[in-house]
Amino acid sequence: MPNVKPEMRVIFVVILSLFAAFLFLPLLILFARSFEDEQGISIANYMSIWSDRNMIEASFNSLKVSAAAAFISTILGFMLAYAIHCTNMYRPLKSVLKTAIVVPMLLPTITYGFAIIYSLGNQGLLTKLAGRSLFDIYGFNGLLIGYVIYTLPSAFLLLHNAFQSVDKKFIIVSKLMGDGTLRSFANTILRPLIGTLGGAFVLSFILSFTDFGIPASLGGAYPVVATQLYQVMLGSIPDFNQGAVIAVLMLVPAMFGIWLLKRLERLNFHYDKLADTELPRHRIRDAAFGFISIATVLGMLSVFAVMFIAPWLTAFPYDLTFTLKHVISTFQSSDLTRVYVNSLFVALLTALFGTLIAYSAAILNVRTSLMGRSALDIVSMISNTVPGMVLGISYLLLFNGSSLKGTFAILVICNMMHFFTTPYLMAKNALSRMNPSWETTGELLGDSWFNTVWRVILPNSASTVIEMASYFFINAMVTVSGIIFLVSAQTSVVASKIKELQHFGKFNEIFVISLLIFFTNLIIKLLCDYLQKRRTVN
Amino acid sequence: MSHILKLQNISKHFDGKTILDNISFEIGTGEIVSLLGPSGSGKTTLLNIILGLTQMDQGKIIFHQSDLTHVPMRKRGFNIVFQDYALFPNLNAYDNIVYGQRNNKESASPQQIQEYIEFLELKPHLQKKIGELSGGQKQRVALARTLVTNPKILLLDEPLSALDGVIKESIKQRIQSIAREFKLTTIIVTHDPEEALTISDKILIINQGKISQFGAPQEIVHQPSNDFVDQFIIKQLHIKRQNIYNLFGEQYA
Repeated sequence: MPNVKPEMRVIFVVILSLFAAFLFLPLLILFARSFEDEQGISIANYMSIWSDRNMIEASFNSLKVSAAAAFISTILGFMLAYAIHCTNMYRPLKSVLKTAIVVPMLLPTITYGFAIIYSLGNQGLLTKLAGRSLFDIYGFNGLLIGYVIYTLPSAFLLLHNAFQSVDKKFIIVSKLMGDGTLRSFANTILRPLIGTLGGAFVLSFILSFTDFGIPASLGGAYPVVATQLYQVMLGSIPDFNQGAVIAVLMLVPAMFGIWLLKRLERLNFHYDKLADTELPRHRIRDAAFGFISIATVLGMLSVFAVMFIAPWLTAFPYDLTFTLKHVISTFQSSDLTRVYVNSLFVALLTALFGTLIAYSAAILNVRTSLMGRSALDIVSMISNTVPGMVLGISYLLLFNGSSLKGTFAILVICNMMHFFTTPYLMAKNALSRMNPSWETTGELLGDSWFNTVWRVILPNSASTVIEMASYFFINAMVTVSGIIFLVSAQTSVVASKIKELQHFGKFNEIFVISLLIFFTNLIIKLLCDYLQKRRTVN
Repeated sequence: MSHILKLQNISKHFDGKTILDNISFEIGTGEIVSLLGPSGSGKTTLLNIILGLTQMDQGKIIFHQSDLTHVPMRKRGFNIVFQDYALFPNLNAYDNIVYGQRNNKESASPQQIQEYIEFLELKPHLQKKIGELSGGQKQRVALARTLVTNPKILLLDEPLSALDGVIKESIKQRIQSIAREFKLTTIIVTHDPEEALTISDKILIINQGKISQFGAPQEIVHQPSNDFVDQFIIKQLHIKRQNIYNLFGEQYA
């Protein structure tokens, strides 16, 4: 590892200061505000929140529906990952499933809700196909479906990655040792994955519990914590102190979840060496898992089918004649094109600065011997714990009177803080796998530290940098929970505009701009995948 | 032979453990010196201290009468080939070799670079990506890249450990030729007694951070100074000799 240079210290201080100002300080203010009332400082806000029946009901509902969604997502995610890794299913089908399952990640969660209404509502596309109303979508059922669609890709990706580190040779060994099917499955698949399964459950639970987009469209009369928080902060009678209390309470399950994730990591174990093993043939297993996987993915995607159909019809589902008027009017509306441009602007800046900060932080942590560099891991853990809504409210409380209010800068900063952890961990992982002597070698060959980073470290991690930028961009395009409290009329972005359009019942416009987000994200994703493949150094 | 590098009373501690304890020795111009010892003996730490990568707790490093103890790594003018070569995979072999040229006024001229390339037989491999090179070719590219900076002392960290039989012998000869031809003082870290005895002019044997013996290969073989040297070096060679004898008969032993 290279000796510590002054420029490393400067970057370290800048990054820590940024997090102090835009993560710790806002949270501190939020915490302080939760204790403020007309009489001064007290715990009255906390007492009154628990005397509010709605709030108690919302908390219970949130816990119930999030736990149910997390359970289903974990099981489905596991089955899909198992189908891909442990069956002899047709290979191209595996690739299609892997790609298709992450499609919902390219859309804002608020769109999920409208897609569910137009698919499974009384006049919905799938309801029509089924010939009758399947169930009431407003409330528990709708939220459950929305949350499962939202969390299944994340749960799947987690389990898919974990499956890659499971040595399938042990399945053969277990069979040779005379294990029955169940015992073999328990020892060679379940046991190595038990920590990740727990992790997938916790992650899905946190994502559901803290999401605002889905209940905003599907909650109906079924209150959950996220909608309560929105009502208290931006409803007819805003109460910032009460909002602060709900936000602090929202942090509790998230903090508990992160703590649990850390504990569950200990249950994972690693194989010394992974062997490329051919699995034994089993037609029934392959057919069953093939069917389950296809049904799950098709079921999930079918909900979004309406989004691609409705904007081209005069008045779905009543008048099904083809028309371009919704699309044309959306593009002619300067308001909607402006918010789209705003979204692109915010997403690009988030990708640029977010990647710069996360990559610099990872370099300092992994490839220098700076004292106190592990503070960056603590920052990352805290950033991961704080839900978008909580961060948004903290910003609202701290920067309300400042010149940052209503600017693009606050949106970009909020996104950077909110989505920091995953790209930071991506960079850490990639940088720690690189030769540790490159900086020393560069220095001995006369390079400054910056030069070696520019000429050697960066080109060799280009693939990861592209992936980080893509992650920041896509998430900035779809996020709604954090920025909903921070946008102004001038800085409105697509995801927050959808909430506004909902108010006026303009669902066709919602779908058109959702398609815009979808295709923009798809192009970015495909472009980044292409660049990544080109830049990967063999 | 005049001494160009003097190490005086070098000590290093880490986490309350002594890594190097009062190490002193001198190296002459153009000499090849091996630092030999078992894993964890402190030999790589000593190499890194000479390079300037690791700070010592106590002691002095004198190079040509100048005290280098507090001179930073970059200004010492020494260079190293790391055990894993640390080649830059985003650049081809040639770009790796000339990497340091633009940074150093004192680095080799284009003509000298061509000489190194030819000497190390790298011409057919210059446009290859690092991933396309064999272990021996990588080693030679790393050597060329280091030589281009015209180092005052060449440091090699386990240069032969990742190579197999025939390639190992070829690289060994090249290292000796470089030291002789360019009069380049060379310090090699190794844990293999046979390697050290066949490549070096002098060997510094380290055990648990202390010098066990410092001398020419013949001196070490014929007059081991203590039980450790006897066990670690002579016994190993005897076993090898015995194995060859068992396989091929007495004339090979």
